[in-house]
Amino acid sequence: MTKKNSSHKSAGFNRRALLQAGAATLGAAAFPLPAIAQTKPFAGVTLRGASFQHRFFTLLQNYIPEFEAQTGMKVDLQLSAFPVYNQQANLELSSGGSAFDFVNVTFILAARWVAAGLLANLDEFTIDPNLTPAEWNPKDFVEGAQVPYRDAKGATYGYSWEGGAMVMGLSRMDLMEKKGLKVPKTFAELQQVCAEINGTENVNGIVSFQLHHWCLPPYIQGFGGNIFRKPPADIMPTLNSPEAIKAIEYYANLLKNYAPKGVLTYTEDQARQSHMTGRSNIFIHSSAWITPILLSNDSKVKDTSRVVRMPAGPVHDYPAANSQGLGIPKNAKNKKAAWEFIKWALSPEISMRLVKEHGHSSVCRRSVIESEEYRKLNTVNGQDLGALYLEVLGLPAKGENYMAYRTVKEFPIVGDVLNKAFEQVATGQLAAQAAMNAAQEQAVANLRRAGTAL
Amino acid sequence: MSGEGLVDAERRRFNAIALAPSLIVLFVIAGLPAIYLVVTSLTPFQLVNPGSSTDFSSPLRNYLLLPGDPRFVNSLWVQAKLSFWGVLLQVLLGMLLALLLHTQSRVVEFARTLFLIPMVLPPIVVAIIWKLIYTPDISPLYYAAGLLNVTMPSLTSSVDFALTAIIIADTWEWMPFTFLMVLAALQTIPEEFSEAALVDGANRLQIFFYITLPFITPILVISGMFRLIDSVKAFPLVFLLTGGGPGSVTEVTNYYAYLLAFDFNEIGYSSSVTIVMLLLVVAVSLGVVWMGRRREAMA
Repeated sequence: MTKKNSSHKSAGFNRRALLQAGAATLGAAAFPLPAIAQTKPFAGVTLRGASFQHRFFTLLQNYIPEFEAQTGMKVDLQLSAFPVYNQQANLELSSGGSAFDFVNVTFILAARWVAAGLLANLDEFTIDPNLTPAEWNPKDFVEGAQVPYRDAKGATYGYSWEGGAMVMGLSRMDLMEKKGLKVPKTFAELQQVCAEINGTENVNGIVSFQLHHWCLPPYIQGFGGNIFRKPPADIMPTLNSPEAIKAIEYYANLLKNYAPKGVLTYTEDQARQSHMTGRSNIFIHSSAWITPILLSNDSKVKDTSRVVRMPAGPVHDYPAANSQGLGIPKNAKNKKAAWEFIKWALSPEISMRLVKEHGHSSVCRRSVIESEEYRKLNTVNGQDLGALYLEVLGLPAKGENYMAYRTVKEFPIVGDVLNKAFEQVATGQLAAQAAMNAAQEQAVANLRRAGTAL
Repeated sequence: MSGEGLVDAERRRFNAIALAPSLIVLFVIAGLPAIYLVVTSLTPFQLVNPGSSTDFSSPLRNYLLLPGDPRFVNSLWVQAKLSFWGVLLQVLLGMLLALLLHTQSRVVEFARTLFLIPMVLPPIVVAIIWKLIYTPDISPLYYAAGLLNVTMPSLTSSVDFALTAIIIADTWEWMPFTFLMVLAALQTIPEEFSEAALVDGANRLQIFFYITLPFITPILVISGMFRLIDSVKAFPLVFLLTGGGPGSVTEVTNYYAYLLAFDFNEIGYSSSVTIVMLLLVVAVSLGVVWMGRRREAMA
């Protein structure tokens, strides 16, 4: 999907607009507006929001003028690069600032922000029928995507606008069919397919990228391990469990033997490019990064691609899932106005418009994802991408929330240690057992230093 | 007090008044944050625990933890290697290039200008250029190696080459600085000296070692010191090329401090790392200056 969207701010004057404005002014002068239009509840309010740059917000900016016209408020949305936004929001929220009325609740920071009480409880808005009509339906959001924005008591501090479901993309099914290989459904089959394809017509068996603490945990859990003992209640790291060591060995072996040279420093964009051009057969990541092999105009492998569930481990089948949410800072000045914006931005109507008008499919409303229009737009080569997306996104909410490891505030520290340990194994600096023993020791020391009681 | 003394006192007062605005501004924009950094380093301040910013119950806690933090110790060692080899290469290559281009011709003047380009590029642009060079599947370097049937490892994800890769990029970026300094110094050497030496039968090597080198040594020391201080700021290259990896092979101290502050939220601990780094840089710089003065005194 490469449709260009001009920001409303950049819309220039033209003769037609000028004539329309003139006619409207004359009309307004001739027929005074009814009183109701002059009593817009938020007239004069300037709503300040912030997030990292994302296509969702770029598209949303096309509709914001409509929202401004409906409510009378002005929306000042500040978009920055992902790390810049996270640092800025972290500082702003933790210092109790009130510069923003609504913020993106970044997945990796959600647990910390919720635990530290930096966000407003949105249940106060949703239970009030004067503030939230029944048809807005908070339960319509995919449960798995909502998990990160709840505290231990189940109160909600954010609503998801973007879902990430880990799926597997195969770009060279033609080569696989030539060799009589089927779509791998287990870790063992995955390794076999990677080995068979790697080097055939200069194609790599698999590609990945440098965020190992996102890519690796499904393998750790697949073998029966976890990052913490029993998150969120017991956050003692379990990095040197036999299952975690096995997973590290397995994943390091995949990247060492079947991935492009330099894969350890690949960014997501590089990995996607390698996948979309057919230079690498398998890529396992969030759906938004995988589905371009089928949907993007830049894809060179549309006809030979499949998108399926990632292979299951011998013990568990736990593909990762994440989301991004919108929330209101605890000290925001215009909470009600901010809620009005969130309610509008995440309404079924806007979600559906994003899908229909822009092909933006990673929305989090179940009613939209299950609609006929969505299914039509997201069925490619007979593959129902929407159903797959919904299935994976909903998994963490079924039974044990296996994504809990990622929603505890201690994860960034332990995740970083895991990253380092994996790189040490993948580059042969240390054996898996030694690397993970050292990682466990360091994770515990770092958590204790940060004041975590273990 | 004599009239001369009065004039001196007047001048000193005038100087103080004239300098005061600049000093006040400097203190506000540099001094106050530095003081705050020191204060923060004495607390267990974490972003998600705002109350911790005023907890001075154990002011030396962060500093006492540092020696036992293997990642911090490793980062100092990585920084030392990066600084030593980087500065050495930049000074030597800068000097060599300056000696080669210390002549008058249009071509040489053009070449001089060309060599200055890396230094004036924004650091992030330099990092991106080298990211392209070091990425095997899009790199012209790897393409050329492929044409010659040479198999090259991925430099930035190789334990043996990752730091070398950063040193090379850093040298490319900053060698022009030492080149420029040495070139300026060379142009101040009176030509009569080398002419007289030539008449006395000295060869080029002898002229270099006995005339040119003593003249440019102070400049080499100063530019080396500048680069040493600056080498601690090799953040963009580390951030973009390796992210401190593979493992912690290229994790320099300022990158570790950045991770502590912005990824782990440990502002207090990160501040203590920064303070230690600052003290080390000051100590090394003073050491270099002291050695330079001692050498001058002995000369």
